[in-house]
Amino acid sequence: MSNNKYKILVIEDDRKILSMIQTVLDTNGYQVLTAQRCQQGILMLSSHVPDLVVLDLGLPDMDGEEFIRITRRSSMIPIIVLSARTEESDKVRALDLGANDYITKPFGTGELLARIRASLRINRMNLQAAMPDNVFTLEDLVIDYDRRQVSVGGNNVHVTQIEFNILALLSQQVGKIMTYSAIIRAIWGAMDEGSIKKLQVNMANIRKKLGCKPGESRYIINELGVGYRMTDARE
Amino acid sequence: MESKKHMVADSLFTVITLCVMFLVNLFLVMQFDTKTMTPMIFVLGVFLISWRTQGYVFGIAASFLSVLAVNWAFTYPYWEFDLISPECISSAAVMLIVSTATSTLTTRLKQQEKLKAEAEKERMRGNLLRAVSHDLRTPLTSIYGACSVIIENFDNLSREKQLLLLKDIQADSQWLNRMVENLLSVTHVDAGKVQLSKHSVVLEELIDALLVKFDKHYPNQTVQVEIPEEFVSIPMDPVLIEQVLMNLLENAVFHAHGMRNLWLRVERKNRHAVFFIEDDGCGISADRMASLFTGLLDSEAPVDSNRSNMGIGLSVCKTIIKAHGGELKAGNRPEGGAQFHFALEMEETDHVEQ
Repeated sequence: MSNNKYKILVIEDDRKILSMIQTVLDTNGYQVLTAQRCQQGILMLSSHVPDLVVLDLGLPDMDGEEFIRITRRSSMIPIIVLSARTEESDKVRALDLGANDYITKPFGTGELLARIRASLRINRMNLQAAMPDNVFTLEDLVIDYDRRQVSVGGNNVHVTQIEFNILALLSQQVGKIMTYSAIIRAIWGAMDEGSIKKLQVNMANIRKKLGCKPGESRYIINELGVGYRMTDARE
Repeated sequence: MESKKHMVADSLFTVITLCVMFLVNLFLVMQFDTKTMTPMIFVLGVFLISWRTQGYVFGIAASFLSVLAVNWAFTYPYWEFDLISPECISSAAVMLIVSTATSTLTTRLKQQEKLKAEAEKERMRGNLLRAVSHDLRTPLTSIYGACSVIIENFDNLSREKQLLLLKDIQADSQWLNRMVENLLSVTHVDAGKVQLSKHSVVLEELIDALLVKFDKHYPNQTVQVEIPEEFVSIPMDPVLIEQVLMNLLENAVFHAHGMRNLWLRVERKNRHAVFFIEDDGCGISADRMASLFTGLLDSEAPVDSNRSNMGIGLSVCKTIIKAHGGELKAGNRPEGGAQFHFALEMEETDHVEQ
C-alpha cells in the first residue's frame, strides 16, 4: 500500500497554505509534491507524473489558467482549483478550460479531502469506462441508459428527451461539477442568448420530477452561478 | 461612452424643446394676434432645458437661441434680425439674464443634491469603519489569545483543553471570514458606482444554495421554507443576495432569544418577489430599531457576550438591497418575533418552454 500512494502535486505560492495542505495530505496517506511557481509545477508534472493537481489560481509567475491550458494539451490529469471569493468568474473560466473542480478559500480540510477523493474516483471510473449493465444507481435513483428510463424508489419517472439527456450527462460525470456552458454544449450543441434559461427551466422540471426539495441537495447539487453536479453518494 | 450618450440626449432635448416653443408662439401669434406671451413661453422653454440637461451649456445656448428667435420672428421688423433698436437689445438682455439665472440655479441645485448624497455615503462608510474595527478586533483577540495559550502551555495543557481552544479558533476564524465577505460586498456596492454582476437567478436554486450553506454553519437550526411553486427567475447579483439572506437568518440565530421557528418565505406580488425572514423570538426593541441599519453599535450593548455583527450585517444588507432597487425593512410581527422583508423585481418568464 505504501508504495501505491496517490501522488498529488500542490501548486500554491503562499508558504503557509502550502504547508497546511501538505500536512493534511501527508497524514491522509497521499504522497505530496509541492511547487510555488507555475513553471516549476509544469516541470514537476512531466517528471513525476502525479495523479492529481491542486492549483492556486493566483500565482506570481503565470496565471493558473495558463497552467490548465498548457496541461490540457497533453494530459487529462484531474485538476482542482483553489480560488478566493473575489474570483467568481475566474472559477467558471477555469472549469471551462478543463479544471475538474474548485474549492473556495478559506476551505476546511474535510472539504479538500472529499474533493480529492471524488476527483480521483471519477478519473479511475473513466479509465475503467462504462458502468455495469449500463445502469446508473444513486441511492434510490436509477438511470437506465439503454432503455432511456429514470426511476426513483422503483417508480418510473417520466422525463422528456432533453431532461433525460441532462440526467445522463450529469450521472456519467457523477461528482464532477459541470458548468452551464459545458452542459449546454453537450445537450444543444451551441450556446445562445436564451440557453442558460432553457437549461434552468429544464433543471427545475427535473428537480420537481425527482422530488428534490431546496436545501436537501439530493441527487443534484446546484452550484449557484457555476453549474450542476450529481452528488457522489460515497463522499 | 456614457457622457457622449448624455450629450446626444441633451442636445436632442434642447432642440426639440426650442422648436416646440417656437411653434407654440407662432400659433399664439396667428391665433390671438398678441405677442405678450412670447418671451414668457421662451423663458419656460429655457427653464425646462436647464432643468433637464446637465451643466450650464445647454441652458445658456438655449437662452441665446431664444433671444435670437424672439428678435427674428416675433419683434418688428418680422423675419429679420434687428440688433440695433434699444427696445430689442434691452428685451434681449432681460431674457438672457432670466434664462442664465434659472440655468445657474437649477445646476447649483443638482450639485447640492450630489454633494448631499456624497456626504451621506461618506457618513455611512465612516460608521461602518468604526463598527468594523471593533468587530474585527474581538475575534482576533480571542484567536491570538487562544494560540498563545496553546503555544506557551503546550506540554501542560490537557488534550481536551487544547481541542476546545482550537475549536474556538476555528469558529472565530470562520466568523471573521464571513465578516470579510460582508466588507467585500460593501466595497463592491459602495465604490462610487454600483458594481453588481447581475444575471438571472432561479429562485429555487438561490434558496437551495443558501440552505445548504446555512445548514453547514448551523446544523441545529431548521429553516421553514415557503416559495412559489412556479418557475421564478430574478435578475440579481446572487453572491450578494445570498449574503443578505444569510445575514438575516444568522441574525435570527444570534439575536432572537427564545426563538423556536425560523421562516423564510417568498411571495409573488405583481412583478415582484417579496422575501420575508421571520422568527418567533424576542423581537426588536424600540430603542434598537432606531439604529438598526446604521452600522453603529449601541454603546450600552455588551461588547463580547454575543456576536455583535448585527449592525454591520444589516447596514450591508440594506446597501445591497438598495443597489438592487429595493428596500430592506424591519419590524415586529403582531404574534411576536422579528420580521425582515424586501422585494426584488422578477423577470418575465412566459416564453421559456424548451
